[in-house]
Amino acid sequence: MKELFPAKHVMGFIFSLVLTGVALSVYFFDMSFFMGMTILLVTAFAQAALQLVLFMHAGESEDKNTIYTSVYYGIIIAVITVLGTMLAMIWGYV
Amino acid sequence: MLKMNNNNTQPLEYSTEQGRMNILGFWIFIGAEIMLFGTLFASYFTLETRTGSGPAGAEIFELPPVLAETLLLLTSSFIIGLGIHAMRLGRKKAMMTFFIITLILGAAFLGFEIYEFIHYVHEGASLQTSAFTSILLTTLGTHGLHVTFGLAWGIVILIQVIKRGLTPQTANKSFIFSLYWHFLDVVWIFIFSFIYLKGMM
Repeated sequence: MKELFPAKHVMGFIFSLVLTGVALSVYFFDMSFFMGMTILLVTAFAQAALQLVLFMHAGESEDKNTIYTSVYYGIIIAVITVLGTMLAMIWGYV
Repeated sequence: MLKMNNNNTQPLEYSTEQGRMNILGFWIFIGAEIMLFGTLFASYFTLETRTGSGPAGAEIFELPPVLAETLLLLTSSFIIGLGIHAMRLGRKKAMMTFFIITLILGAAFLGFEIYEFIHYVHEGASLQTSAFTSILLTTLGTHGLHVTFGLAWGIVILIQVIKRGLTPQTANKSFIFSLYWHFLDVVWIFIFSFIYLKGMM
């Protein structure tokens, strides 16, 4: 039975619950928008990295470099899309 | 054509050239999905304040169901990880049990999401109410649709594993399904953080 619950996965799960708890602090405590967003950005990206590396085994095969390139490319384009849209539509710099 | 590379140190799902390529191809698809959700988030942040005569996020979001959805999806993602681990140990029964639990948690997640949508419509926040409610329901709905599709996909894969056992092909499909499921959890974390928590902050 024990071999079905590897310590690495259990630790990863506990860590993801802790990250969710930390993210929840922005709801329960009064803080500035900047502080809240910083906490959310850190916990969300940490959570995503945890899933990608630990649970999705992104680095285990010989196609590791291609896999990471594809994922980073997706993330970079997504971030540029979001920030570029904010720049033009919300922050009003364009 | 299947080309075996007879590499016994690799897990079953990587044991054929075709299987390895399927996994790589799925990762490229995930890259495209990241960009898809990126565009939805970009639209959401743009339209978030355009509530017209409808409600704002803080007025309709409820923490308990959202928290339940988050915990259900986080747990299901962990459980399917255990399922793949069991598959690599060759423990077919344990793997299937973990997969079934994953799907049940996924169905429970959908149940909460459907409750949430009904609640929004009762509060007067439907797809047509305002720019905000339409992008909100589109973003949540796109994720929900992915989960719904995942449930059907997972059931079909389970049936194949029951019928054919753990072969390089069924192991490969199960592994790819687990990638999809983990990815849905990642997307939900961003929805939870930047739509709900940010909206209720």
